[in-house]
This record gives sequence, C-alpha cells and structure tokens, in this order.
Amino acid sequence: MLVSAHSLGYLAQAAGVTVALSLAGIAFGFVIGTLVCVARVSGGPALARLGGAYVSVFRGVPLLVLLLFIYYFLPIVGLDVPALVAAIGGLSLSSGAYQAEILRGALNGVPRGQTEAATALGYSNLDLWRRILLPQALRISIPPMINEFILLIKASSLVSVVGIAEITRVSMNIASMTYRPLEAYVAGGLFYLAINLTLAGLGGLAERRALAGAR
Amino acid sequence: MSWDVLLHYAPALIRGFGVTIACWASGCALGLVLGFAVALGAEAPSRALRAVLRVYVEVLRGTPFLMQLFILYAGGPSLGLRLSATTAGVLGLGLYSSAYFSEIFRGAFAAVPRGLIEAAMSVGMAPFDILARVRAPIAFVAASPPIVNTLIVMSKETVVLSIITVPELMYEMQTMAAETFTAFDAIFAMAVFYWCLVEVVSRIGRRVEKRAAAFLVSHA
Amino acid sequence: MTKPMIEVRAVGKSFGAHQVLRGVDLDVAKSEVVCLIGPSGSGKSTLLRCVNFLESYDEGEVRIEGELIGYELDKEGGRRPMPAARLRAMRREIGMVFQHFNLWPHMTALANVAEPLIRVRGLTRAEANDKAADMLGRVGLADKAFAHPQRLSGGQQQRVAIARALAMQPRVMLFDEPTSALDPELVGEVLEVMRALAAEGMTMLIVTHEMGFAAHVANRIAFIDQGRIVEDGPPKHVFHHSREPRVRQFLQTYHDRNAF
Repeated sequence: MLVSAHSLGYLAQAAGVTVALSLAGIAFGFVIGTLVCVARVSGGPALARLGGAYVSVFRGVPLLVLLLFIYYFLPIVGLDVPALVAAIGGLSLSSGAYQAEILRGALNGVPRGQTEAATALGYSNLDLWRRILLPQALRISIPPMINEFILLIKASSLVSVVGIAEITRVSMNIASMTYRPLEAYVAGGLFYLAINLTLAGLGGLAERRALAGAR
Repeated sequence: MSWDVLLHYAPALIRGFGVTIACWASGCALGLVLGFAVALGAEAPSRALRAVLRVYVEVLRGTPFLMQLFILYAGGPSLGLRLSATTAGVLGLGLYSSAYFSEIFRGAFAAVPRGLIEAAMSVGMAPFDILARVRAPIAFVAASPPIVNTLIVMSKETVVLSIITVPELMYEMQTMAAETFTAFDAIFAMAVFYWCLVEVVSRIGRRVEKRAAAFLVSHA
Repeated sequence: MTKPMIEVRAVGKSFGAHQVLRGVDLDVAKSEVVCLIGPSGSGKSTLLRCVNFLESYDEGEVRIEGELIGYELDKEGGRRPMPAARLRAMRREIGMVFQHFNLWPHMTALANVAEPLIRVRGLTRAEANDKAADMLGRVGLADKAFAHPQRLSGGQQQRVAIARALAMQPRVMLFDEPTSALDPELVGEVLEVMRALAAEGMTMLIVTHEMGFAAHVANRIAFIDQGRIVEDGPPKHVFHHSREPRVRQFLQTYHDRNAF
C-alpha cells in the first residue's frame, strides 16, 4: 500500500471533519427529532400530522437530493448558503426524521402498565414524563442512536459533492493527485471503518450498561 | 416549473428512470442471493470461513456506499478489473446490500423455532430438505419486513450511482439542470419522485409486515 | 426371547455440571405402552429425547430393536457418532409427537403429513397426498386437510402431528407431554386417538401428566425422580401399592391439586 505519510495526515484531518460534521448532524438532528416526536405523540391532530409529514418527506427523499436541493435551490431564491451550512443542514434535517422515529419507538417501548401504575399512584403529568417515561425512553434509545450515528458517519460521505474536505472528498483529491485511486479510496475506507468500529464498540458497551441498569 | 423543458428532456428522463429501476432491481437481486449465501456460510463448521464472512459483513456495513463505488470503479483498474460505470454500480449495490441482507437472513434463521426443525429431524429428513422445506420458507416470512425496509434504503442509495456517472435518473436530471439552468425543477422533481417511490414501497412493506405477523404469531 | 423394541441401559446425561440422567435402565417390549411420569425437571423428557437421539447421551446405550442409536462402536470398544444418514434412517422408524405440536406453519395439515413421505419415503406427491388424507381421516380430521395449522385448535394440531408421525409407519411412537399445552377441554380428543393407537398394538413410550390415561392405557408406569427410575411396574402397583415415598408424595400432591 503506497499512501504517503503526507496523504495520511490529510486523511486524518479529514476524519476529524467527518466526525465533526456527523456530531453536528446528530446534535441538530436530536433537537429536530425531539420536537417532531413531541408533536407526533402529544401535539394536537394538526401538529401530529405535520410531524408525520416531516418524517415521511425527510426519510423518503435521498440525502444526496436533499443536499443538492439546499445547495442549488436556496441561492436561486436569494439565500447564498455556504457549503458547510448546506452540509450540516442536510445531515440534520435528514437525521432529525430518523431520530424522531427512534424516540417515538423508545416511548412506545416503555410498557403501558408503567403509565397506569404512575397515574394510579397520583403522579402529575410532568412527574410522569420526568421521572418515569423519559429516563426509560432515553435508555432504550441509546443503542439505536449509536446506530444512527454510524449511519450518519457513512451518509456524511455524500457532502463531498458540495466540496467539503471530509474523508471522501480528500480521498478523491489524493486519488487524482497521485493517480493511485485504489490506494487512496481503500485508505479512506479504512478511516471510516475505524471510526465506525469504534462507535459500534462503544455502542455495545453502552447497551450492556443500559441492560445492567434496567435490571 | 417549466414544463416545456421537462417535456424536451422527457425521453432522457424516462431512460434514466428505467436505469434507476434496473440498477435497483438487479443490485438488490444480487444482494439477496449473496446475502443468503453469506448467512448460510455463517453456519459453516469452519471457523476461518465464519471469520472471513464476519469481516466481509463488517467492512461493507462500516464504510460508505460511495467509497465502495469509488474503490470498485476507480480503484478496480489497478487490479485489472475494468468495469463500466453501470456494471460497477450494480455490482457495488449488490455487495453493499448483501451485507445487510445477510444479517437479516442470519437473524431470521436463528428465529426459526427449534421445535419445527426437531420435528423434521424426528421423521428423518436430510439437512438440505430441512433447509429447503422448513427453515428457509419460515425464515423468509420472518425476514420479509426487514427485507422490504432494506429495499427502500437501497432504492435511495441508487442516487449515489449518479456520482460515478451511471446514467440513472439523478444523472439525467443533473444533465438537464446543467444544460438548461433549471436546477430547482430537476431537483424538486427528483425529491418528489423518490418520496413517491419510498411511500409506495413502504405501504407495500407494511402490508407484508401484517401478513408476516399474522402468519408467525399464530404458530407459537 | 425377542429383543425389546426400546432398550435403555445405564444411560447418563449432563447439561454442564447438572446431571439430568443417572444410570437409567428401561425396556419397552413390542406392542407395549409405557408411561413415564415424575416431577418436572426429573429428566423424563430428556430420556424420551435420547431414545431418538434428538438429545445425545453421555453414558450407557439406547438400542432400538437391538441396534445402538446415535453411536457406533469401534474395535477398541470406544465409540464415535454414527453417520448422519444412518441416524436419519433409524429416526424414520421412530415417530415423535411434541408438546408444542411443531407443525410447519407454512404448510396445510395435509402437506404437513405428506411432506416427510415425499422427502424421506420417496413417494410421489400424489401418492403422499392420498396417504396423508387417509391418515388425517384416521385422526378424525379429514375435513381439515387444507387448513393451515394456525386455523386449527390445539387439539386438532396435535392430532395432525400424530398423523404426520404415523404416516411414516414407525415401529415405535414417542410422545413428549402431548397434552400439556392444550386447554383442558381439548385433551380428550388427543388421548382418544392415542388410546386407539395403543389398542392397535403400537409400541408407545409416553411422557405425560395424565394419570387417568396412564392408569387405563399403559401396561407399565415408570416413575423418574432426579434422573433415576425409582419405580417401574404395572399401573396398579405404582399408583396404589408403591412403597417408594417419592412416588407416594408425587401422587399425593397430584390428588390434592385435582380435588375440588
């Protein structure tokens, strides 16, 4: 394998960008996902429908299409979006839809009897959410959230099309500079693999902890 | 929306649509076959084979589809593997989806109730017959909802093929956009197209899921 | 003297550190009906499953009409697993009925019975279907041939399962708690089929909690406790004259539970 130390340095930097982009996507996506989930679960019928539509649209439209839409369309209506904003925006909007579903699934995963037990004991609605539902739902949602993070790391390779210097883009640059595409892309792929295996390992750890805690 | 532009490009777009569907169908068909084989291989007595298949699945699931396409399409020639963009795209989609399908099949095989296999053993059925007549049909039913789900995910991944210049719908749309400066129309049309596709397949999927559930629950 | 149909000699079996069977001896002669009873966890199901080698045993021997099942002996007296094809051939002659029926959910009742005939006995589909229809008639389910298992009651499912095993024309039938998963009102129809089978002279080894059935149909009762057969004799003896305290205690709790 002939990837120079120089190239590896670039790739390592790019890996940082990939992780940072995905973290931003997860964080903003979590805010969006929480809002959408609350709208769907305890909003009125109009809000619930809106939340449902959000999930349907942003899970249905491929991320690449979404990214190009933001990057090419918004300038037409007079909003010049920097590539970085387009990238993070696209990742967040898309991830928000998936996270909303994860959170909703986790809430459904709390047995119905728990709500009934708390109500029977005279818990207020706020206490019910704060003390009973949320702690359990968040615990349930840890493994799928880690999984979502891994998917986002992979999805972030698509922001290379708007020119952000993350792993995929840098691999393309190295490939065209060195005329060694195989080595360049395999090296880039290994960086992704390293990140994702690390995350999967952490996820396994978190899952075991969560299981132990649930006992 | 400028309808005359869309009309002018209609033949190219329809061709692109055909290519998208063809790549999706053939890629996923390949992925299902490979995935099934990998899931069976994971039961092999050979430790080495199982380890190799584990690595296969982890690598394909742990790296972006786009990266895998680049390795196949741009990196392939270094290994003497010269593929057309479309061949690389279909092969790539097949390999990528096979990792997901194999995990689905593996889980579905593991979920076949042990007693159903014992019943087949107790009448003296051979391992291949037990696989073909008992395990596989039951596993397929259990696997059908996640398979539909993965088919949906893969339908969206076909867009990525445009990046390595497979002349699928996204590629044709971008060509149209570049030639006519109607990026918005093109991308908007794409978004609507995929949203419809995903909605339709999801609806079919939910129906499949209900059937599968009715079929499986009653047995236990 | 003819060889017993089933011959269990000094069979031992452990799951990890837990010893489930400890030197079990049991004979079942041709046309004999033997019921295995005992507390849960006593090893009776494990013993039954050793007879067709769904469960391997660690020590001793299980023979079907004189032939060792599961292992073959080499010249030095050691033993190794028997070839898979030979084991399958032996299993063809041993019918088994499971607690949870284990009908294949993707096949109709008829297909459940016909499938092994096609795959194992090599019948054509038409022949197999004819025979399967016959067998379903024998268990009183001729009209349910094209129903899938999920459309049948538990009792009906179990009768299909019996038909599936019988269609193979086994020389022995094993029953593993065949009525334990059934609602009480469905138990009778299954026992009725088993009673008829016994009357025809089928050799049967039955794990059951149906003491009334055991008392009336079995030629012998074997009582297992903690992996050992502690009592083995005619129903009258075991149920009424046993001196074994564990047997008496077991029957006492059984009577108490059913007294109302």
